[in-house]
Amino acid sequence: MGTRERRERSDASDYQLVELFHGALLFSGLNDRQIALAAVGGFGRGELSPGSDLDLLFIHTGISEKNLSSFIKAMLNPLWSVGRQIDYSVRTRGETKTVSRGDIKVAMGLLDIRHIVGNQDLTDSVAADAYKQWRRRIRAYLPMVRGSINQRTSTFGELAFLLEPDLKEARGGLRDITTIRSLDKSEFIPITLGRIAESEAFLTSVRDVLHGVTGRPRDQLLLTEQDAVAAEMGFVDADALMLEVSKAARAVDYVMQVTWHLIDERLHRISLRRSRRVPIAKGLLRFRNEIALISDYDAASDSGIGLRAAAIAAQRGVRLSPETAMRIATDFKELPSPWPDQSREDLVAFIGAGASMLNVFEALDQEGLIERWIPEWAHVRFLPQRNVLHHHTVDRHMLETAIRAAALTREVHRPDLLLVGALFHDIGKGYQGEDHSEFGAGLIGPLARRMGFSDNDAQILAKMVTLHLLLPTAATRRDIDDPQTIEYVRSQVENAELLELLHALSIADGEATGRTAWSEWKAGLVEDLVARTLAAMKGITPPAQPELTAEQMTKVAKKELSLLVMDHGDTLDIEIIAPDRPGLLAAITAVFTITRLDVRSAKTRTVDAVAVMNWVVTVDINIPYPTHERLTDLIERALVGTEDLQLRIEERIRSYRRRPGILVPPPVVSAITQIVTDASIIEVRMHDRPALLHTVAHAISEFGVDIRGAIVSTLGAEAFDTLYVTDLDGAPLANEKAIDLAKQLEIILTSQN
Amino acid sequence: MKLITAIIKPFKLDDVKNALNAFGITGMTVSEAMGFGRTRGHTEVYRGAEYTIDLIPKIRLEVVVDSADADKVIDVIVKAASTGAIGDGKVWSVPVDHVVRVRTGERGVDAI
Repeated sequence: MGTRERRERSDASDYQLVELFHGALLFSGLNDRQIALAAVGGFGRGELSPGSDLDLLFIHTGISEKNLSSFIKAMLNPLWSVGRQIDYSVRTRGETKTVSRGDIKVAMGLLDIRHIVGNQDLTDSVAADAYKQWRRRIRAYLPMVRGSINQRTSTFGELAFLLEPDLKEARGGLRDITTIRSLDKSEFIPITLGRIAESEAFLTSVRDVLHGVTGRPRDQLLLTEQDAVAAEMGFVDADALMLEVSKAARAVDYVMQVTWHLIDERLHRISLRRSRRVPIAKGLLRFRNEIALISDYDAASDSGIGLRAAAIAAQRGVRLSPETAMRIATDFKELPSPWPDQSREDLVAFIGAGASMLNVFEALDQEGLIERWIPEWAHVRFLPQRNVLHHHTVDRHMLETAIRAAALTREVHRPDLLLVGALFHDIGKGYQGEDHSEFGAGLIGPLARRMGFSDNDAQILAKMVTLHLLLPTAATRRDIDDPQTIEYVRSQVENAELLELLHALSIADGEATGRTAWSEWKAGLVEDLVARTLAAMKGITPPAQPELTAEQMTKVAKKELSLLVMDHGDTLDIEIIAPDRPGLLAAITAVFTITRLDVRSAKTRTVDAVAVMNWVVTVDINIPYPTHERLTDLIERALVGTEDLQLRIEERIRSYRRRPGILVPPPVVSAITQIVTDASIIEVRMHDRPALLHTVAHAISEFGVDIRGAIVSTLGAEAFDTLYVTDLDGAPLANEKAIDLAKQLEIILTSQN
Repeated sequence: MKLITAIIKPFKLDDVKNALNAFGITGMTVSEAMGFGRTRGHTEVYRGAEYTIDLIPKIRLEVVVDSADADKVIDVIVKAASTGAIGDGKVWSVPVDHVVRVRTGERGVDAI
């Protein structure tokens, strides 16, 4: 079914309407100078799908209500009597102008007005008014257009990723195409309509066939009707049809995004000129609400630029500029295998940003970058799933799972593995005859190693993919009162670290699937199963305090300050050995904050009243590199406390806090009281931010507690710190005091979050 | 006709479904339910904190059958749902006056 049939249908309706119009004139005693009949909307464009409404506008010169009413009844009754759906309005030229001023639907519908019969001058003048008004008032119309698009998206979702989409109203659908055409008519910005022509022809055909198959003018393409529509259109199966629907919708959505990008540029042209371009990371700057490449940056020689840009844009909750995504794709440089640590961290930070990751992911995916980094993604892209529980295609379902997992990062010891596991948990779907969990585990193992995860981490990820359905299945299909069930789960999961990862993944997966798959009822059963299994395990052992090398022990014996800096390009390794004193960690981290060194990881330990600290830090690109002399000088002054560092620190923290960001889960601080060592263990899990470790160390020293050792790690954008603390006499804290310290610290960190 | 309602342990759903299928009953309504009976819930220890679960997750299964079959169907459900342990659930039946199949308009036993 194509354009020709729709035109023929429209012409036949025109012919019928002309006949009825003349008949009604005779009946009501009006003449054809007093009134005109015009088509608007889709009918205005001369195309009519089977079952579509007739959108009509009667334009009159000011006829009395009584005469109008008898004319319209006489004209439309024969159509109503055969069940024809008609959407009509009756207005004078002046009324039309007034209504269309505040009603975006009317204003846009009038842009497609087409004269059918009666006084053509009336139709022509309304058409001219509509065009003039649309162009002149476009700045007032734009917020209304944007509002209606957003509202439709939240109600109908996205055509490309839904399993039962509405072809007309969903984002990327036919309504969006009409909107793009209307925006083009405003001449406010140039739009390349060629990119959507094919999508429009295809989506309209699908809709026509759907109307034909169902015999109803409904635009939602339900699972039960997809086979028939696919067969009618000559597709191998419904999956092949839905793949083409997704592609068409994505093309429309992309043009829509570029259109709004151009509109925003034009709207803010003056303020754009005044906006500052702020360098934000190597090769990247922030300009208004976008992350963009620095214009003369050599992206072709930087394989990490794409993921770095993605992580920064998503973590700041801003867009990646479309031009930048395009340039990264054009100047693409393949990542080495395995990926550098920083690129892996960037991927984790990118996924961990939650909902703000989505539009950045889309921008990268449109340019084919996701598949170039992760070829395994190509197979699941737009992949439909024939399952009544699911609403989304496989790729979007995994993204939705990752978004939900980002809210659960405080629940696990390895947020990075949770996020990556969530993003790829269904990567094995769509391979004929294969169990998707098993097959996916075979894919993610090598993928994780390529990303630079250790063999051990790759194995954990493979286990997560293999077992991602274990907990919900066991909780609902097995007797959780039976010790054998607990033993079965325990033997499969092996340890508490994996159990907490699987629990968080089950929640994220269930929530992303929908209410039919994940209810409070099911969540309760799974939680019960996890609690029972955990009780049968030996719990999670925090890492031991770091071991020291012989060389470090020699330096410790000297009991004096020593500083060693090794430059690795993007990061610095700093070894500091200093006589210990309460507040030492706070003092050293104060120096880092002032010199804008961002701590990525650290291992510190105190032996014989001397602290040995190994730091990995990154340098802020906006300031000069701190020299060895300056660092030593600052540390010496910090140690003797000659400088009021705290004030300078607070100033820095205040300036960082002014940065806009994304919503993140609140910090979690816990005291590990089950394990007895020579120090009490405090775990801090929170979203990383500048000067975080200083805030933690400072708060702890204010509490009158000494930090004997620390293992600090940053996993993507999440910080995980394990601190070994004692009282000032060097003894572990009493349990109550450790719990209180954790509670107080959590309050402080939450208040600053 | 009788409406038979069974409250059973969640993991017993497959067994009960299979047993009813074998008996010749193919249609049923299943919903997630929460509740407690004589056991009044139980006490749990989770992450060091002790708390009482008042409401225990159960499955509620409903099926309408010819009165002549009701006792047999109840037996089938009870046998399939039983573990012998506390909290196995309950099964009861109530008389049903009318049943209409919406699509065809059939009434009574024909509509079951």
